[in-house]
Amino acid sequence: MLRIILNKKLVFWLFLSIPALLMMVRFNSGDVLAMDMLHPTGEWSARLMIVAMILSPLVSILGPKRWLNWLVQRRRALGVASFAYAVLHLIFYLIDMGNLDDILAEFWALGIWTGWAAMLLFLPIAMTSNDAWQRRLKAGWKRLQRLVYPAAILVLVHWIFIHNNLGPALVHFIPLALLVAARFFLSSKILHKGI
Amino acid sequence: MRMISTLALAAASAIALASVPASATGVIKCKAGPVSGWKTQDELTKKLTKEGWTVRKSKVDGGCYEVYGTTPEGDRVEAYFHPVTLEKLYVGRRGEVLFRKQGY
Repeated sequence: MLRIILNKKLVFWLFLSIPALLMMVRFNSGDVLAMDMLHPTGEWSARLMIVAMILSPLVSILGPKRWLNWLVQRRRALGVASFAYAVLHLIFYLIDMGNLDDILAEFWALGIWTGWAAMLLFLPIAMTSNDAWQRRLKAGWKRLQRLVYPAAILVLVHWIFIHNNLGPALVHFIPLALLVAARFFLSSKILHKGI
Repeated sequence: MRMISTLALAAASAIALASVPASATGVIKCKAGPVSGWKTQDELTKKLTKEGWTVRKSKVDGGCYEVYGTTPEGDRVEAYFHPVTLEKLYVGRRGEVLFRKQGY
C-alpha cells in the first residue's frame, strides 16, 4: 500500500518541492535576505536539470535498470521542477536588486547575461513539457527539448562567473559532461539502445 | 563495461558530494591582525549609513569586512573595508570594478 502511494507521480512532485518549501519557510522567518536565497534556488535548479539530463546517458551505459526506468518516467517532473527553481531564483534576484537601473548596470557581466540567456532557453522547454505540446510538435518536440544542452552550458558559465570559482560548478557539471560524452563517443556496440 | 559503470558511479557520488554549499571567494585580502583589534561591523554600518550608504548585509571575508549594499551614488555594489581602519578598499558590482585602493 505504502509502495503504491510512494510510486504516485504526485508524491514525486511533492518530494521535489520540499527544498523549495524549506527555503520559503526560512525566508518568511525573516532570518535571511533575498540575496541569500539566490544560491540555494540556483543550485537546486542546476541539480535537477543535471539529474534530468543524465538519465538517457545512464540508460545507454548501464542498460535497462528498474530504478533508472522509475526515474525516466519522472523525468518531466525533474525538468519542470528545475525550471520552477530557476523561476524562484529569478524572482529572488529581482527582489534583491530592487530596481531596473541596477539590473541593467550589471546585465552584460558574463555571469549575469548567461543566466538570463539560460532562462530564455528554459522557457520554451518548460512550456512544452506537457502531453499536449508533445503531440502537437511531433518530432520537433525532441529537437526543442534538446535546447537544454546549450542552456546547460550557459548555466555552467553563469555559475562559474557569479562565484569567481570553478570548484562547485565543475563538481556538478563534470559528471554530466562525462556521461554525455560517453554516450556520444563510446562505440555503439557496447552501449545499450538509448531512449 | 565495468569501467563505464565505475565512471557512472563516480559521477553519481560526485553529485552527492557537491551538496556542500559554495561560497564566493574573496577578491580582497586584509592582513589586519587579531580580531581583538578590529572595529565592529556595527561601527562600520553606522559610519557607512551616515555617509549615505544603504547596508544590506555585512560579513567577514578574506580578513576584511565585506558589505553588500548601495553607495551614496545609488549603485548596488559589493564593497570591502579594512576591519581596523574601516577604510574603503574595494567597490564593485558584478563584472565591473568601480574602485580599488592601490596595493589591494
